[in-house]
Amino acid sequence: MDLTTVFEVSAAGMSLQRLRLDVAAANLANAQTSAVDGVGYQPLQVVAHAPLTAPFAQWLSAAQLRPADVRVVESASVPRLVYEPGHPDADARGYVAYPDVSPVSEMVRLMEISRAYEANVRALNLAKAMAVRALEIGTER
Amino acid sequence: MSIDPVTLAAAQALPPMNPLPPANIGEANPPPAGAGFAGWLDSQLRQVNAEITAAADDGVRRLAIGEPVSLHQVMINLERARLHFELVLQVRNKLLEAYQDLTRMQI
Repeated sequence: MDLTTVFEVSAAGMSLQRLRLDVAAANLANAQTSAVDGVGYQPLQVVAHAPLTAPFAQWLSAAQLRPADVRVVESASVPRLVYEPGHPDADARGYVAYPDVSPVSEMVRLMEISRAYEANVRALNLAKAMAVRALEIGTER
Repeated sequence: MSIDPVTLAAAQALPPMNPLPPANIGEANPPPAGAGFAGWLDSQLRQVNAEITAAADDGVRRLAIGEPVSLHQVMINLERARLHFELVLQVRNKLLEAYQDLTRMQI
């Protein structure tokens, strides 16, 4: 497992966290959009899997440590119904359907994304620092 | 455009390496060894330069003109290029050290 493998794996982790941030931002931005005739914004979520099938030694040789199979899927959630009879999108009973986005859980997810991204940067920086240290072998400074 | 500083920095990073081959060729007796080292250094420098140009420089250029390229990928490519350059620099330092030891040898 050479240095570039660590770089690639960390870069893949960072890309995944970026995607999760994009999705969380989209969810937050569309939290207050109402559905017209039952068709509205569905909250999105990122689903990622690690290729766990290979044995560990094979992981180290092939750059298979990165998260693969990353998809953005619509979560099958029930819309939030709010009673607003005067709203143009209200149904016959006076309810307006909003996407089921909880601002609290989205904020927690944002914190989690930020920390995970930071952790990836830390791992990459450590790998780089180790390489720099290795290059210092033999120098008298 | 705002791309220039990077190419300039890459170009300025290289010249300090060049004074070495003349010093080596200036040695009277063994031209094959001197030419070999100069050639090796030249090829390594070209390779590192190509790496910088291909990955890092290209990434910065694309970022500067607003193409959708991930920021961390650009930074990682820059770091990788820097590490490669550092490696060639260290090898050059060690070879130069050995060469200077030889020139200081009492006969």
